[in-house]
Amino acid sequence: MAALNLFAFRAGTTALHRLDVRTKMVLVCMVSLAILAADFTGCLACFLVLYGLIRTIGISFIRLLAQLKWFILLLIIMLLTSSLTIPGTPVFSLSGVMVTQEGMARGALVAVRFFLVMMTGLLFSATTRPTALKSAAQWFLRPIPLVPEKRVAIMISLFLRFLPLILDQAQQTSDAVNARCGNLHKNPVRRIRCLTLPVMKKTFMAADNLCLAMDARCFTEDRTDPAFEKGGKERVFLAAGGGLCLGMVWQAKVSFWMTFWS
Amino acid sequence: MSPAYPLRSIVYTALFVALISVGAFIAIPIGPVPIVLQNMFVLLAGLILGPAWGLSCVAVYLLVGLAGLPVFAGGTSGIGKLFGPTGGYLLGYLPAVFVTGTLSDWLGKRPVFDILSLTAGSVVVYAAGVPWLKIAFTMSWGKAMAAGMMPFLAGDVIKIAAAAAIAGKIRPFVRL
Repeated sequence: MAALNLFAFRAGTTALHRLDVRTKMVLVCMVSLAILAADFTGCLACFLVLYGLIRTIGISFIRLLAQLKWFILLLIIMLLTSSLTIPGTPVFSLSGVMVTQEGMARGALVAVRFFLVMMTGLLFSATTRPTALKSAAQWFLRPIPLVPEKRVAIMISLFLRFLPLILDQAQQTSDAVNARCGNLHKNPVRRIRCLTLPVMKKTFMAADNLCLAMDARCFTEDRTDPAFEKGGKERVFLAAGGGLCLGMVWQAKVSFWMTFWS
Repeated sequence: MSPAYPLRSIVYTALFVALISVGAFIAIPIGPVPIVLQNMFVLLAGLILGPAWGLSCVAVYLLVGLAGLPVFAGGTSGIGKLFGPTGGYLLGYLPAVFVTGTLSDWLGKRPVFDILSLTAGSVVVYAAGVPWLKIAFTMSWGKAMAAGMMPFLAGDVIKIAAAAAIAGKIRPFVRL
């Protein structure tokens, strides 16, 4: 579970916690798209807003960095790869390997965008109850023909139940394999099998037990439709989020045309 | 259990959605580049669940990521990720799982046919992902393949071998 602790729901009474889940989903989509189009200035504005919101739910910057250390390492590798592979003005070269200005800029922008997308997901998952997410998915899918929205909602709720179970079992199995020096095997196929086979066996047995329990309780899809709780600030958040996204996109376009004409 | 209501298939599909999501976080360090098990579970879903439920599984996975839960590789999510430079791989999972499941149903459940089905699924993932990457970064075919396919081929061979072995062991437990 350690890998996902930061992404787990954190109970609270902040405005974000009280916000209607459907509004939050629309905001996540809008911000994700705006991040894709934004440049460094827009990303900085977005980072400040997201960081402020993350602080309100009680996650410190140090904890954020500590929990995401492997993810940040991945971003650094991305930055280095771009710096070394994208051609352009050389910053310095060593033994024939050249780091370019354009490569560094491109890599840094991609890394920043990844980090911001991750922060958006963190904010969403840390302030949204899994049951609310299931209800929202059902609500959004209802108008789409040929999509069994209740079935999809059941799958989402089951998925949210299985996620911590698999993570716990993967951690336990990994510890058991390592205790038996399984991590020293040279054969990669054997290493994957040693880890995944016991995890999958255990989770499929747990799934079987769940099937029996659900069937014994006469489980059907015809359940009471979800009720949504509104915090009253949905329009404010939508307006502010929309303004931020438009600002990020507009700023990126203006910056692009100014560079183009100069 | 009622024959009309596919409860077991629904539960197994949800389980594979969770496995695919967890696969994005489980990295097995083999050399400098770790193997992430996400696409192995996608193709395994095709083998175990078949084309229809496999397709449902990947569709639900993409929906969950689209909704904002951090289930894509590296803890990312959102529509921006789905339609970003690597979105082709994610959307390519849909035809890949369908092709894997259909081929597995046609050919049979023997290990050699499993390997063939998994290989076809992997090819479909790259067929969707590499052109998308090429268009997104406006790069040449050679560079797109060098960046988006070549580094992962060795890992894919290992994952296909492991997935075929796992499918053979897991099938007796799965009663769809």
